[in-house]
Amino acid sequence: MSLLALDKWAKLVTIISQNGGIFKSIYKLWRFDTLKWNGKLVGTDSLGNKYYENPYYMLGRSRWVEYNDYVRWDYDATQITPEWYGWLHYKTDRLPHEDPAKYCISCCAWYQKWMLPPEENLSGTELAYYPYSTVRQHIQVWDGKSVCSRPTPCVCK
Amino acid sequence: MLRQPLTRALALSSPSRVAPLAARRFADQVQAQPDKVEVFIDDKPVYVPPGTTVLQAAAEVGVEIPRFCYHERLAVAGNCRMCLVEVEKSPKPVAACAMPVMKGMRVKTNSDLTRKAREGVMEFLLVNHPLDCPICDQGGECDLQDQSMAFGSDRSRFTDIHFSGKRAVEDKDVGPLIKTIMTRCIHCTRCIRFASEVAGIDDLGTTGRGTDMQVGTYVEKMFLSELSGNVIDLCPVGALTSKPYSFAARPWETRRIDSVDVLDPLGSNIVVATRTNEVLRILPRTNEEINEEWLSDKSRFACDGLKRQRLVTPMVKDSRGNLTPVEWEDAIVAAARALRDCPSDKLLAVAGDLADAESLVALKDFVNRLGSENTCTEQFFPAEGSGTDLRSSYLLNTKIANVEGADFVLLIGTNVRFEAPLLNARIRKAFIHKETDVALIGPKVDLTYDYTHVGDSASLVKDLATGTSSNEILKRLESAKRPVVILGADQLKTEEGAALLAYTQELALRLQDNLQDKEWKVLNVLQRTASQVAALDIGYRPGVGAALAAGPRVVYLLGADSGIVTREALPKDAVVIYQGHHGDAGASIADIVLPGAAYTEKRATYVNAEGRAQQTLVAVTPPGLAREDWKIIRALSEVAGAGLPYDTLDEVRERLNQVSPALVAYGDVQPNNYFAQARALAKSLQKPVSGKLDVQLKQLEDYFMTDAISRASPTMAKCVQAVLKQKTAPY
Amino acid sequence: MLSSLRSGVQFLWRVPSRALQTTSTLQHDSLFVHRDTLEDNSSIPFEFSPANQKRVDALLAIYPEGHKRGAMIPLLDLAQRQNGGWLPISAMHKVAEVLNLPRMRVYEVATFYTMFIRRPIGKYHVQVCTTTPCWLRGSDVVLNAIKEATGCEVGGNSPCGKFSISEVECLGACVNAPMIQVNDDYYEDLTVEDTKEIIDKLKKDEKPMPGPRSGRFASEPLGGLTSLTEEPTGPGFGLQDALKS
Repeated sequence: MSLLALDKWAKLVTIISQNGGIFKSIYKLWRFDTLKWNGKLVGTDSLGNKYYENPYYMLGRSRWVEYNDYVRWDYDATQITPEWYGWLHYKTDRLPHEDPAKYCISCCAWYQKWMLPPEENLSGTELAYYPYSTVRQHIQVWDGKSVCSRPTPCVCK
Repeated sequence: MLRQPLTRALALSSPSRVAPLAARRFADQVQAQPDKVEVFIDDKPVYVPPGTTVLQAAAEVGVEIPRFCYHERLAVAGNCRMCLVEVEKSPKPVAACAMPVMKGMRVKTNSDLTRKAREGVMEFLLVNHPLDCPICDQGGECDLQDQSMAFGSDRSRFTDIHFSGKRAVEDKDVGPLIKTIMTRCIHCTRCIRFASEVAGIDDLGTTGRGTDMQVGTYVEKMFLSELSGNVIDLCPVGALTSKPYSFAARPWETRRIDSVDVLDPLGSNIVVATRTNEVLRILPRTNEEINEEWLSDKSRFACDGLKRQRLVTPMVKDSRGNLTPVEWEDAIVAAARALRDCPSDKLLAVAGDLADAESLVALKDFVNRLGSENTCTEQFFPAEGSGTDLRSSYLLNTKIANVEGADFVLLIGTNVRFEAPLLNARIRKAFIHKETDVALIGPKVDLTYDYTHVGDSASLVKDLATGTSSNEILKRLESAKRPVVILGADQLKTEEGAALLAYTQELALRLQDNLQDKEWKVLNVLQRTASQVAALDIGYRPGVGAALAAGPRVVYLLGADSGIVTREALPKDAVVIYQGHHGDAGASIADIVLPGAAYTEKRATYVNAEGRAQQTLVAVTPPGLAREDWKIIRALSEVAGAGLPYDTLDEVRERLNQVSPALVAYGDVQPNNYFAQARALAKSLQKPVSGKLDVQLKQLEDYFMTDAISRASPTMAKCVQAVLKQKTAPY
Repeated sequence: MLSSLRSGVQFLWRVPSRALQTTSTLQHDSLFVHRDTLEDNSSIPFEFSPANQKRVDALLAIYPEGHKRGAMIPLLDLAQRQNGGWLPISAMHKVAEVLNLPRMRVYEVATFYTMFIRRPIGKYHVQVCTTTPCWLRGSDVVLNAIKEATGCEVGGNSPCGKFSISEVECLGACVNAPMIQVNDDYYEDLTVEDTKEIIDKLKKDEKPMPGPRSGRFASEPLGGLTSLTEEPTGPGFGLQDALKS
């Protein structure tokens, strides 16, 4: 029995079935390089990322995120929204909707008025932020027309 | 005639000031060398000629005595008292700068008495000197700062701040170049002495007395000199600082690159101070052969023109006739196509005022490879007679430093003061210290010293040359031991130019033949631009008139901005390729613009009016896509199918060496000869002349803006305006 | 707590000894730069009068060729006298022209000497000595009397335009202190009454008698000689016998 490790095979079958069949599992494995077992969906953030937890895994692997299918392979850690960041990184055990402070921030109209929606890191893309130059331009470029000549006598005030 | 107060005349008679050692080859050899005097500086014996001051004797053994008012090139004032030293058997410390040595004198430059004297002087100077070093532009290069660190007291006893406070002096307005903060002035009077001795503009002086004494102009007046910037260097404190450079940088932040000035034909040696790829200021570099330690205002202050009106990308005219920026490839291909399609006799290359020898030789080789011989310079020079074949006929043969050894200077059709300000300073020096007399044929101009105005007719030169003149100038010239004749190159533009040159050669060489000193050269032609001598050496044909008349199809302008080549003078379908660094007259008529590098941005060779090759070094990189000029021509030649055989600067210089070794003999002047041959060839050209001589630069306002860089400079524009305003002012 | 209390009440007992630095006071009563005014600007012409022109020629003749600039002070003085006691800038320009010198060299001399006055002053320039000997002998009351009589402040002109007062350092007549100088004349041994009388006479354009007012001829002792009263001894007085021939 143990030689055949049937329980492992059973677990594999469970994992595959839990992840939605063979093709979906292969797709997920391709995307995330891992397949998790028995993840409990604890919530979804505003960008559509799904957060799972399974305390069966050791600490550090027991909480994970499955990014929105929309982004395919272009997922990035900065797509995790700030409310979920703390939970995902074990800074807190409270889920965002259980945390009064975060709940308040996400719901209160006054906060929403000035808080920007979370935005992923755009470095390396065309939308990347470049600060404008604060340095004075040393060289004044010729405009293609004007020619300098000696100034005429100034009209003295 | 006494040209200076007696006291100064006496003070100036010390032998080292009259002519620098390098230039004293022609000084009177017959004069017996007087016995030298032995003196002891800090117990080190030194032999010096009598009349040497203690300070100079100390300098001989390497002991530097602190000083504020003393300056090697100015009269001794002896009023700062910083150079006090103890002399054995003298009851009081003596001022080293004014004390002539005496036999067996024992000077102690580091004794307790000396140090105490210095400390006391320093304390008195600082009583009325504001401690605003953090906001002072001189900070870091201030003599007062340095010397108070070295010789001052380590603590202050100054309590007067609670009572009457420090002396305050109102600032003066002396024009757009010099910023004055007169409270900082320590009354060394260096600026006053410079103004009256070197610049010849007696506008600065001390007014008042005692603690209320101030240095200034008394009336509201601009310091109307073309050498005014030098008082900034002379000022040992921050009282006179550079206005364009004010609050720009500290000296320790800047990189200093030795270079050569190209804005006048003398090729003064300069130091370019840069920071973050920006030229901040230009300072003179000592070169006894050329500029001593002075620099003319245009060379010093026009550097902000390097940042304006710049060509930073190649440009090609689009369908609507506007110059639009393009990539190098497109511009080069467009230029190469135009050059290739052009019949070789319809191709014309014109070199401008600021072109360097490397690009000149590259352009000439390129044009020659395309089958054309049409390489010209903007400036004219007669091609008849010996033409430009003999170097001696277009150079300043006497050499700049030797001019101060002359005893008679004849200027023909040149306003040296504005065409070559530092040459004029040399003549003035000779005028003042050596009783040299000056005569001028040409329009009456202010040369800052007295001269005999012979007239402004060209026929006067003929009369002098043929010896038929009844003018007493002829007698003076013939009796002079070391006469100098300087002909302005501007005069050669006219129809009579060749004859004028021939007569001048005849006159100069006739004088030269009768001289005892066979080494002395009389004939001088003062070119107007920095590029002309190199261009003529390389074999450019002077003047574009004939070439333009032939109706060229493609015109290649290498920095030709004088406005001599105009669109009107060219056929309608002519393609103009402009290569240069400023958008000016040349670029505005161009169809294709290739951005080159200015003189601070390339390592390049320039040959000055006396035929001395010197090189500039890269101080900043060329802006944007601009490139070094010879490289542009090299790249263009490749695309046009006439690749030049050199790829590195060394190879270009090797080519220059083939053309003329003088072009790469940096720092040297080759002796010029073949005067007799030139004279013989010129004989046939001696036709009657009747015209009047005229010069372009008559007044100070004409001086400031003469080339692409200075025309683009806002500081120079301010200078012109200030001068014009000063002309209408009552003082 | 205590430290903040201390700094809060500190101003009560300590005057800040070093406040913001201000410009120092002008130490001289005249300015050493030129300012164009209605009375004094370069467009006002100045020419030496024919009589003075002769003097100019005579003065210039004193100095050898090449050293004519030595005549600068006499010429400036001449110009100042011609111009009613003060030296306008056009007069300096004239002197520079006569001597063929840069104008700055003349400005330097004219500003250096305090006796060249470069602002319009009254017909009578009253210079009151207030140096120690005169001050000890009561120059303050003399000065006050002049101020009252003329209505003029030190360094200024009187409302009538006739007087100007300057406070000057020692004029070298300490023996006859207190004293004043009006234009070229010394008035010495003054009392308040004498001063008033002098000013009154000047107001009427009469010339008061210059010299000491105490009845002295010059600087001899007031009550007759107290020493050197006997006959002067002849030569050889007090010589030892051995040396007598």
